[in-house]
Amino acid sequence: MGTKLTMADMSGSHDQLLFVFSGEVVEVCGPERTGKTELLYHLLCRCVLPKSAGGLEVDVMFVDTDYSLDMFRLVSIIDSRLTRALSPSAGSDEEVLRSCLSRLLVVHCSSSSQLLLTLHFLENSFSSRPGLALLLIDSISAFYWLDRCEGGASFSKQEEKLSKCSELLGRLLRDYRITVFATCHAIRRIHSGLSSSSFSSSDSDRPYLCRSWQHLVTHRLLCSRQASTAGGSKEQRMRQIFTVHCSSSTGTKAHRISSFHVTDGGVDFT
Amino acid sequence: MVVLRAGMCPGLDEDLVRDLRAADVKTVEDLVSCNLEELAQRCSVSYKALFAVRRVLLAQHSAFPVSGADLYEELLSSTAILSTGNPSLDKLLDSGLYTGEITELSGGPGSGKSQVCFGVAVHVSQQLKQNVIYVDTTGGFTASRLLQMLQTETSDKEEQMAALQRIRVFRVFDVFSLLDCLFGLCSDGLQQASVGGGSVKAVIVDSVSAVVAPLLGGKHNEGMSLMSQVAGVLRTMAKDFNVAALVTNYVTRSSSGELQPGLGVSWSHIPRTRILLERLEEGTTAASSAAATADVSRSSLRSATLIKSSRQPCLIREEFDLQWWSRSKDQKTSGLKRKREEDSDS
Repeated sequence: MGTKLTMADMSGSHDQLLFVFSGEVVEVCGPERTGKTELLYHLLCRCVLPKSAGGLEVDVMFVDTDYSLDMFRLVSIIDSRLTRALSPSAGSDEEVLRSCLSRLLVVHCSSSSQLLLTLHFLENSFSSRPGLALLLIDSISAFYWLDRCEGGASFSKQEEKLSKCSELLGRLLRDYRITVFATCHAIRRIHSGLSSSSFSSSDSDRPYLCRSWQHLVTHRLLCSRQASTAGGSKEQRMRQIFTVHCSSSTGTKAHRISSFHVTDGGVDFT
Repeated sequence: MVVLRAGMCPGLDEDLVRDLRAADVKTVEDLVSCNLEELAQRCSVSYKALFAVRRVLLAQHSAFPVSGADLYEELLSSTAILSTGNPSLDKLLDSGLYTGEITELSGGPGSGKSQVCFGVAVHVSQQLKQNVIYVDTTGGFTASRLLQMLQTETSDKEEQMAALQRIRVFRVFDVFSLLDCLFGLCSDGLQQASVGGGSVKAVIVDSVSAVVAPLLGGKHNEGMSLMSQVAGVLRTMAKDFNVAALVTNYVTRSSSGELQPGLGVSWSHIPRTRILLERLEEGTTAASSAAATADVSRSSLRSATLIKSSRQPCLIREEFDLQWWSRSKDQKTSGLKRKREEDSDS
């Protein structure tokens, strides 16, 4: 397949944050309210929109483990992108919206065993729908505490289910050439005062999920919110700037940073 | 983990379960993850039979993908927005509490969280004529306060009693009883609380931090796991039965000294919308008299700040009066008119 997905395409910006090839896994992590789910919506739109509106017209599978998919927000983003790209009187908007939404498949999981069984079940979908190129998991860390408690005292038992999921994902990546984006919630508070220029490899948001998952991850996007500047107009303070810091395990070790803010039409890269 | 038992599906009999257990395959997950050809040889069972059993078990226990278009249609028809009864709060919440979601109200002691919960319960029960489940974990629920609020809405005693009957109260004082209560409600489809043929539209838990906070901290992870379970059952209830879940939380101070909701980072991902309530600081000087400060502490004005929302820009702030729900209808309409004028002026 080899479809290249880039994050900064929609804004026409030349500064590309990330090139992702099929068969790779991207982990989007960060504390709450830093725009992780918004980034997933941005990616979703890029994939399901028709080619005439700048999309890729591929199918997307969304695995929702913590009921955080807000369909109304997603539809408003798709709507605003469609009206921006196509002329307002181009045919029936409902039809285009429906065809975009039919490229999206949503699955809800309520425990890590159900996640494992569902991934096995989805193998059928991957083999029967060759247009299914992207798997989004929001979030992979939803069952972390439940698993830790169930596993008792031994770490290997605690991490068993997520390890099995990671191994299965690895196999699905190889066999079906899909790309995986997964969000991971932070469990430790990042102390304010860390400026983005002083990022080192031992930043306070260390990965905490099991080793099999960490080996699978190719790129890691660390999201954070910039502290709002004192002064400035009320408008400026309302527009929170979010930054994304990308580190990859392949290629160069250089870090890349990009920033965006959230508008009614979704993520807008600056 | 689902343990394999005879009779779970056609083709899975006692002998097969025993053979599988001998080959160290005890749960559905083990069966689904292992190599079937190898297993068939080890247990001397036919590959076809194993494959059929695996397919049925997988279909029984995994979740099914739904097309985005169908999901959107379903949400459009089933999601309702419940007004809280207070127009300033409704403005913050983008016209009210959405069903299928968890909304969190956090604030310090005396900031009015329970009063807002009472107001919402009364409004949903009296104006929207829907049932409400109120889970009280602090012992702060008083029916007389609700009656007071209802008496300003309607003077008909029958209507007041009917509205009170639509609010079902559960008193739980530790996390295990809370989980028991919520799981029990889910398993019988919220029938317990559906009085008079109405359906439950709101579930209020006041407060969730009172039962979870004592378990957090320390070396044991059970507290975090129990918190995840409470979150899980509330979300399932909200999504499956189309109710709006409203929970309250306490506040702590962050390292930079500002107020933030409690229960830590792991809880912060769970509510879809979060509101922080604070007392309003009237501009009192340091040399204020005792009478002035007493006035401030008895004031019913509060400010609500939106700190997390997927629909509105964050950090918008509204001021409102806790006594809104106790005002008579005339006072409310004049208050609304004044508010609309203020909004159009600014």
